[in-house]
Amino acid sequence: MHLLHFPLVVIRVAFPSILSASLLLKHYHGGHVVIRLALGGCTNRPFYRIVAAYNKRARDSKHIEQLGSFDPLPNLYNEKLVSLNFQRIKYWIACGAHPTKPVAKLLGLSGFFPLHPMTVTKAERLRKTAAQKEALGAPEEGSEEASESKPETA
Amino acid sequence: MAAFKITRRLIRDVELKSAVLFRCARRTLCSESANNSPTDGRSPRFSDKEVQNILTKITGLDLQKAFRPVKQELKPPTYRLMTDAQLAQATQKAMQVAKERLKMPPVLPERKPIDDVLAEDKFLEGLETVKYVFTDITYNIPHRERFIVIREPDGTLRKATWEERDRMVQLYFPREGRRLTPPPVFKEENLKVVFLQDRHEDILDLCLVQFEPDSPDYRRVHNLTYEDIDKHGKYDLLRSTRHFGGMVWYLVNGKKIDGLLIDMIQRDLIQDAASVIHLYHMLHPRGSSAKEAGEQQAQGIDLVKIFARTESQKAGYVELALQAYQETSTECSAQSSSP
Repeated sequence: MHLLHFPLVVIRVAFPSILSASLLLKHYHGGHVVIRLALGGCTNRPFYRIVAAYNKRARDSKHIEQLGSFDPLPNLYNEKLVSLNFQRIKYWIACGAHPTKPVAKLLGLSGFFPLHPMTVTKAERLRKTAAQKEALGAPEEGSEEASESKPETA
Repeated sequence: MAAFKITRRLIRDVELKSAVLFRCARRTLCSESANNSPTDGRSPRFSDKEVQNILTKITGLDLQKAFRPVKQELKPPTYRLMTDAQLAQATQKAMQVAKERLKMPPVLPERKPIDDVLAEDKFLEGLETVKYVFTDITYNIPHRERFIVIREPDGTLRKATWEERDRMVQLYFPREGRRLTPPPVFKEENLKVVFLQDRHEDILDLCLVQFEPDSPDYRRVHNLTYEDIDKHGKYDLLRSTRHFGGMVWYLVNGKKIDGLLIDMIQRDLIQDAASVIHLYHMLHPRGSSAKEAGEQQAQGIDLVKIFARTESQKAGYVELALQAYQETSTECSAQSSSP
């Protein structure tokens, strides 16, 4: 009876804790918040939302908050559009959220994070393969010219 | 936490409701510092109190034109039961809305292009064939201070140019009536057609919605419109609209006020003509007309006469119009005095 005298106060707590997990009627054991790309769009037309979600949730299902978007297909002006809500990203990282690799790479390219090491490594590898191709191409050209001139003279 | 969210929602609502005015005010505040009087030694700006007073007086307030029927969605009228006090409040609100509609859009100097490079990472060259555009979509920051950076395919991280900024801001924070690419009406050939149809006010309203006040497109369209109006003497099209002040400011700065003066004298608006010349003297204080007027301390029609004598280009026409006005005024007074 005494409970009726107290108005029901709903406190929406928005930090990762077992309390909010129980509000969602799911029990995550040792789960954490991640900042990742959730896929949307249609067939042959992907579109990613940058999202803060629990680690154990499905990729595209209920997230805690949307922090931005990423359109992987370039537009009329040859641009890939990325939107990032830096204020909220800062908040979630301060709460202990882990960004995934593609998100970390995007944040590195934007200048918010330092450049991801794999971005740098990929660029170096590309240049190495390009240089090797050129090196292969040059002696091949030389041998081709030699073989071309031989049938002509013959 | 909940309180913070509620205040954030309130701020969002307030922002949404007064978005345009807030941004306009912020723009004017950012560009001009305080309201400096001309005695400061600097030439008067568009946003000075004196200048604004003169321009609002000249614009006039024709209620019939301000509240003429606008093409809008057909919907059944709403009826409300009000007390007298509520009716008075509603009429006051309507007056405020009319004043806001007649509020002059700011005249700002043209914006300087942005070319700021944040980082040059040459080793990233060849990784991508497209640019990456990163926009900060934090809600509570003004669009002018938003971070919009571009990572080029050659690895440079630079700030976006004004056109790219406008496009991104319109994409993520769409404003009603503004299109992502400017409609083809704003090309020169199409503007000519619009001017032939006497739709200067509509095109200026469209321009106000589409472009930022300090963008080169905005200034180009406005200058073309004002030139066309001056060429054909169609000043009455803009009278009692919010664009009249801007037009007068442009003409006074370009020293092309003769046509405007003739039009005003012909419509018996001598006080307005005197105010225009007063504004002219404020902006060009070293001209011969200003000096003579200062010596003689002229008021009203005498100011017009002095200006017609000294610095006017179409002196003949102005004096003819003045003569005609004086004849009609003496006739009227003679008729009224005679029984």
